[in-house]
Amino acid sequence: MTAERVDFFFSFRSPYSYLAGPRAFALPERFDIDLHFRGVIPMVMRGQSVPREKGLHTLRDVAREADRLGMAFGRIHDPLGQGAIRCLIVSELAVDEGREREFVLAASLAIWGEAVDVSTDDGLRGVCERAGLSWADCRRALDDPAMMARVEANTKALGELGHWGVPVFVLRGELFWGQDRIEDLETALTDAGLARS
Amino acid sequence: MTSARKERMERRVLPALVVRLSRITFPARVAAAARRALGRRGRVELFFAFDDPCSAVALTDLATRLSGREVLLVLRPVVKRGIPGDPAVEQKRRYAIDDARRIARRLGMGLSRTEPLAAQETAFLAEWAAGAPQGPALQRFCVAAVGRLWLTGAGPVERSEYEALWRECLGTDPPAPGEGEGAVRRNERLMKRRRPYDVPAAWVHGQWFFAHDRLPQIAERLDELGWTASR
Repeated sequence: MTAERVDFFFSFRSPYSYLAGPRAFALPERFDIDLHFRGVIPMVMRGQSVPREKGLHTLRDVAREADRLGMAFGRIHDPLGQGAIRCLIVSELAVDEGREREFVLAASLAIWGEAVDVSTDDGLRGVCERAGLSWADCRRALDDPAMMARVEANTKALGELGHWGVPVFVLRGELFWGQDRIEDLETALTDAGLARS
Repeated sequence: MTSARKERMERRVLPALVVRLSRITFPARVAAAARRALGRRGRVELFFAFDDPCSAVALTDLATRLSGREVLLVLRPVVKRGIPGDPAVEQKRRYAIDDARRIARRLGMGLSRTEPLAAQETAFLAEWAAGAPQGPALQRFCVAAVGRLWLTGAGPVERSEYEALWRECLGTDPPAPGEGEGAVRRNERLMKRRRPYDVPAAWVHGQWFFAHDRLPQIAERLDELGWTASR
């Protein structure tokens, strides 16, 4: 029997995605699922407006939640633009190499907890190497239009689901939006008989 | 300022500063202690909407969660809210029902309604409640009304049913049509000034929370400020 598929839509520019990452990637340890990482282009780069109030509230709320979860947060380098795109492309390479967990967690920690500028080669290279990826392979991926096309397809898929934000989990067509809805996803997985004994 | 400096400011310095300032709790704790010394209660101001299922769940839970604390739950109903020009507003209204159902389940409640309500269908409730004095009677009415709307009822909103409920909880006839409209607009303006852009939003002595997402954290904030639950 094949494991149930769960899609995990993620943005490197979303601090809530960062908070979700460790718990999301740990789900297959406790449930019989295949977690499919799907990196998407940041909301504001998709033409959606994010008012200043929302940005400020997000930073303050994520700080509280990060403290509660024991995660580093506050030394930030906003990756909007090239930083986010480069991480998305490398994350596709990481998926191919089975290292998406390592890369996504390392990159999002670098962005939200260590103020690493991932738009520079120096910044991104350190993250890639920490995740066990070859920098030469990453460099090649960054110039590969097929990798960017995969990112665009993920972004389109999120829109087709009728959703707007991240992180989003999809189980059998049901959407769970937010790092604070992982417990509801866990309940749904348990109800579906997917908890590992 | 050079563009490199401006970029550094926007991408690193300002976000880090916002986070750092948000972690300073000392002034709020001193202010809370002073407030208690003057015999005044703590306050949780809840901006909510009767047509929003997440507001229904948050209000019902907060009313219970705050009982036993020296804290007044200030109820501020609104009708208009949200990000201006938000293209996802309809999707959000639909998603809110699924989301509220899951939160309700977690809290030991059930959601009875499966379709969104239009804001105008329940605007009269916001007008009544916004113009009424704060206190236990208003809280009883609001909790019972959101309960009927979202936790036990599913059909059309019958005004007469809520008129009877108002009389039962407040002991008077409901306000005349249009009487509380100004109070609702004042709540909406206050919410805007305080920065929350959607409901349910709880303002707790200088910090705000999306209430349905952060119910235990609201209680923790009150604990931190010294308004702990009595045993």
